[in-house]
Amino acid sequence: MSKARLLRSLGGTLWPSFLTAAVASVVFFANIDPETLHMQTLPHWEFSRMAGYTIGFFMFWGVGLASSVMTFVLTERSPQESP
Amino acid sequence: MSKPEPAADDGPMYIAREKIHPREVKGPFQTLRHLAVIVLLGIFYGLPWLQWDGRQAVLFDLPARQFHVFGLTLWPQDFVYLALLLVIAALSLFFFTALAGRLWCGYACPQTVWTEAFIWMERWTEGKRQQRIKLDKAPWSRQKILRRGSKHLLWIVFALFTGFTFVGYFTPITELAGRLTTLSLGPWETFWVLFYGVATWGNAGFLREQVCIYMCPYARFQSAMFDNNTLIISYDEERGEPRGGRPRGIDPRERGLGDCIDCNLCVQACPTGIDIRKGLQYECIACAACIDACNGVMDKMNYPRGLIRYSTENAMNGKPEKVLRPRVMIYGLALLVLTTGVVYSLTQRVPLAVEVLSDRNVVYREVDWYTIENVYTVRVLNKDRVAHDYRLEAEGLEGIEVVTREDTLRVGPGETDSVVARVQVPRDAVEGAGNPFRLIMESTTDPDIRTVNTARFHGPSPGDN
Ligand code: SF4
Ligand code: SF4
Repeated sequence: MSKARLLRSLGGTLWPSFLTAAVASVVFFANIDPETLHMQTLPHWEFSRMAGYTIGFFMFWGVGLASSVMTFVLTERSPQESP
Repeated sequence: MSKPEPAADDGPMYIAREKIHPREVKGPFQTLRHLAVIVLLGIFYGLPWLQWDGRQAVLFDLPARQFHVFGLTLWPQDFVYLALLLVIAALSLFFFTALAGRLWCGYACPQTVWTEAFIWMERWTEGKRQQRIKLDKAPWSRQKILRRGSKHLLWIVFALFTGFTFVGYFTPITELAGRLTTLSLGPWETFWVLFYGVATWGNAGFLREQVCIYMCPYARFQSAMFDNNTLIISYDEERGEPRGGRPRGIDPRERGLGDCIDCNLCVQACPTGIDIRKGLQYECIACAACIDACNGVMDKMNYPRGLIRYSTENAMNGKPEKVLRPRVMIYGLALLVLTTGVVYSLTQRVPLAVEVLSDRNVVYREVDWYTIENVYTVRVLNKDRVAHDYRLEAEGLEGIEVVTREDTLRVGPGETDSVVARVQVPRDAVEGAGNPFRLIMESTTDPDIRTVNTARFHGPSPGDN
């Protein structure tokens, strides 16, 4: 992969998924307290709210990233165009 | 050319990209930009230290799930205000973009502001544009290591401080500073300080204009808000061309020349490395550095200023200009309505939230032959900053009464509690299911703190007797 493509793939995947993850985390955690989730899932583990937010944010980012990468790969070059 | 378009073939551009070292220029617009940088950074770094009523004035206290904004305390239940605030921010962006182009990009965008600050540090350590370009090419020497090293040291310290300040918006910053000095930051705090610091360092130190060109969504859709009356930075082609060098003091027209002396200063000053003389391009962040650069040249040549200037498409084509277009008025009006609405509702906001849940197991109960009873759980969230005693009352049905175990319910600041409310109604006042009535919760000390919830009362159907 050329440096050009690499840069573009970073700009085109990491970044949009970061933005959507930020928005999604705000909306999600405004309505759901990570403490509640914690009690309902792994009550024996030590988890601060901060940890909950962070994990949630990265989960959203990961999902968004997966989707962005897929879009990037699929739209980068259509089969007809490839040499 | 009407609207800025992305370069059609942007393939080779990435590869050819050399580090852009914008030339330092002086002029009114650059002074304004510097001022904007200092004011905005000052606010960002200073605000968390401001105290209000004995606590941090602006604190998005995520661990406690409450937002303090000066005298106001907001809860997750007030999420709607945050959403509205974002809508207002977006609308202002539309409004100012339609009016004056990419003002945001040139003067207020964090990307521009921090990049500018990082370029200043680069200037202090590595010198002016020519020196920096030379240093880039020079082989590694003591001198180069020293200059490079001190630049990165400055950058990293500044970036880490930025990360620290960022986290200080979410956890009380004085405590954070205390924990920092004793090196006992929590793992998550450390993580976010580093994360934000590294992001700042990368974006402002290295990616710079590439963020604007390749990563910024706003840069892509701003052209949709442009029209022919939007202020843009433009080069007066008619006046400038044909460009060319010339000795000072001659009349350019005699030699068939325009006013552009082709000194390339406008290109060197441009932080995104474009030539504005090729027309408005989508990489242009409207920082007006080229205007200041060119005006300086025009002054030296004794030509009138403004070969490059803020103008509109219409003005450039000799058509009449219009500031108040429907688009501007609609954005402006929506902005005004929404802002007043939010401010009004914030002043009317009741720091109490009440939720009424009916008991699903038993539909109704006959207390005695004359009285029917429904049971509700009433959840109370005290959003005020002091504790309150609340009293529950019911109205809306003939002879309705509400019985609670205690007369009043005391709820601390920011706490929730619930109370079981037994609502009793005479048998002949209700018929069938779903008779609406109102439950009123009121603070015993402040009658302004009062909520009204509508609930439904279920009685026996007429045939049930
Ligand atoms: S063309 Fe001029 S206004 Fe646009 S980014 Fe470059 S220097 Fe700034
Ligand atoms: S600074 Fe002015 S005179 Fe110099 S090249 Fe740019 S437009 Fe021409």
